[in-house]
Amino acid sequence: MADSVFVIRQRTGVLGALTSRKWWELLFLRIATYIILINVCFVFLFPVIYMFSTSLKTVADLADLTVLWIPRTFFWRNYELAISGMLYWQAARNSIIISVGSAVLQTVACSFVAYGFARIPFPGRDVLFLLVLFTFLVPPQTIIVPLFILYRNLGFMDTYFPFLIPSLFGHGLRGALFILVFRQFFRNLPYELEDAARIDGAGPFSVYWRIMLPLATPAIIVVFLFSLVWHWNDFFEPTIYLFDQNNFTLPLRLSILSAALLQMLAGQGAGDEFNEAVIMAASFLVIMPPLIIYLFTQRYFVESVDRTGLVE
Amino acid sequence: MQFEDNFFWVAVLTGLALVVPACILSLRVALSAVGVRLTYRFQRAMDGYFYISTWIVGFLIFLAWPLFQSLYVSFHNVKITSSELKLTFIGWENYAEPFLEDIHFLPLFTKTVANLLSDLPIILVFSLFVSILVVQEMPGRGVFRMLLFMPVVIGSAIVIRRLFGEGVSTEAIGVSVQTLSEVVFTYLQGTIADWVLDLVNRVTLVLWRTGVQILIFVAGLHSVPITMREAAKTDGASGWQIFWRITLPMLSPVILVNVVYTIVDSFTDPFNEVLTYIQTVGLTRDFRLGYAAALGWMYFASIFLFMALALLISSRFVFYAGER
Repeated sequence: MADSVFVIRQRTGVLGALTSRKWWELLFLRIATYIILINVCFVFLFPVIYMFSTSLKTVADLADLTVLWIPRTFFWRNYELAISGMLYWQAARNSIIISVGSAVLQTVACSFVAYGFARIPFPGRDVLFLLVLFTFLVPPQTIIVPLFILYRNLGFMDTYFPFLIPSLFGHGLRGALFILVFRQFFRNLPYELEDAARIDGAGPFSVYWRIMLPLATPAIIVVFLFSLVWHWNDFFEPTIYLFDQNNFTLPLRLSILSAALLQMLAGQGAGDEFNEAVIMAASFLVIMPPLIIYLFTQRYFVESVDRTGLVE
Repeated sequence: MQFEDNFFWVAVLTGLALVVPACILSLRVALSAVGVRLTYRFQRAMDGYFYISTWIVGFLIFLAWPLFQSLYVSFHNVKITSSELKLTFIGWENYAEPFLEDIHFLPLFTKTVANLLSDLPIILVFSLFVSILVVQEMPGRGVFRMLLFMPVVIGSAIVIRRLFGEGVSTEAIGVSVQTLSEVVFTYLQGTIADWVLDLVNRVTLVLWRTGVQILIFVAGLHSVPITMREAAKTDGASGWQIFWRITLPMLSPVILVNVVYTIVDSFTDPFNEVLTYIQTVGLTRDFRLGYAAALGWMYFASIFLFMALALLISSRFVFYAGER
């Protein structure tokens, strides 16, 4: 933008700016933009703030209508209850194994497959790539029963393999989308690099492994993060493949939290300690790890979508 | 977790993922070692299949075969006995049932489609609007971006879905449902009022589904060449004209991407009512696997139709700058 509030002020001085109509127009626009954005951000932040604020309330605060946002006392006991009721560390370990494992495998496998689709002309490539997009359209429920039977016959029930093995083949949760991201990225890299490497005697695999993959770091980061977060939040597939509560991931644990807590507290005669605030504390604990990861990596989300050329 | 009984199959599948491409590679090496002269094109074809063979094997195991099985099962009545599944062929009966007997499926399906049709414009316009605001250079842009993309990270979490289920969504936009419904019912007729209320109830949830779309639009807006806008400006175009005549046409492929993404995302969302219903019929309540498979297939076919329709309609409006 050539004209902005600041540019005009620099050019004409404070007095000039105040008398210029353009300056007032732009200032008004800028203020309107801020108001709209702050409102939208509030809508997006609201559930998280609500969750956090409720999670610190005591029973008295929950019932008291005058306590809106800031509880009278910060009641951290809710978090203790939530952690013990969900077996937080065990469930977090399960979630980490599934999401990190699948994310690593998906990143490697999808980049490998996508390289073939992006850079090597071979007969049937376009048809096969249409098939990749086709897999993206299949709703999980359509094929869940045969997959369930398949995994049961292989003895994969109650293990992490139903998540890891498809990822190894470049499938799994939204694998097609990740192949698409990598393909778009690889397509934009210069061909000279590959040609030079091949002339110097690099085989097909080392061209990918030593030349192209290191260049794809932005795409790798974005695919890894998306895969990690989506597996972490995934609820549908874990409900199908995991039965034993010791193998439950965090979202599954959260869904049985009320029953587990009531059972746990029944013996101690402290049933009234369990309430909405504890559920909110537990919910906050479940979304906290992805949120923290996001806080540290958020700039990659924007930058890498810019640079992966996903939009072509 | 027990490793003993499934270790074999894990090893087999992992091996398969690695051995198949390795075979193709070694075949290529072996052929040239024996002295067979390969054309360049044939070599490249082998390289190509070396890379995607893993995916093809996975496609056959985890998609094509299950799809075929569910198609097969959808023409059968499935009886689950303690030891095995008993299939009896019943032809198209499972496919006729939603139209003749089942009173739940069609209403749910039309509701899902209607929701999508009303949500799609909201999602697109909102995300485009917000991304236009957020690509401007201004202090605090980074913070806004960070907050706006947050739904990408936690929007799919069951936690958030549940919160919205409890009415937090309307609280966020500062409307109490009671006052709103009074107002709406005073001024509007029954069905329209219902629709408006439903929309207001869902609106925050709808906004929460815009994370990826905003991300894609922001990237798209960055790729619109600034020279074009400056040229238009020099020729005296107003900001409004620049938006309609330059930004929007240049953005049309991105809009198509977002339309496709939104349709796929809402149709394959596991919390989607149709999919939950299919799951109830097949897996939890009645264990009618055959009927669930038939429903799944019909649903899948309709997604396909929708995509085809969207692509067909959009092909008239999408402008590709690279084409001549």
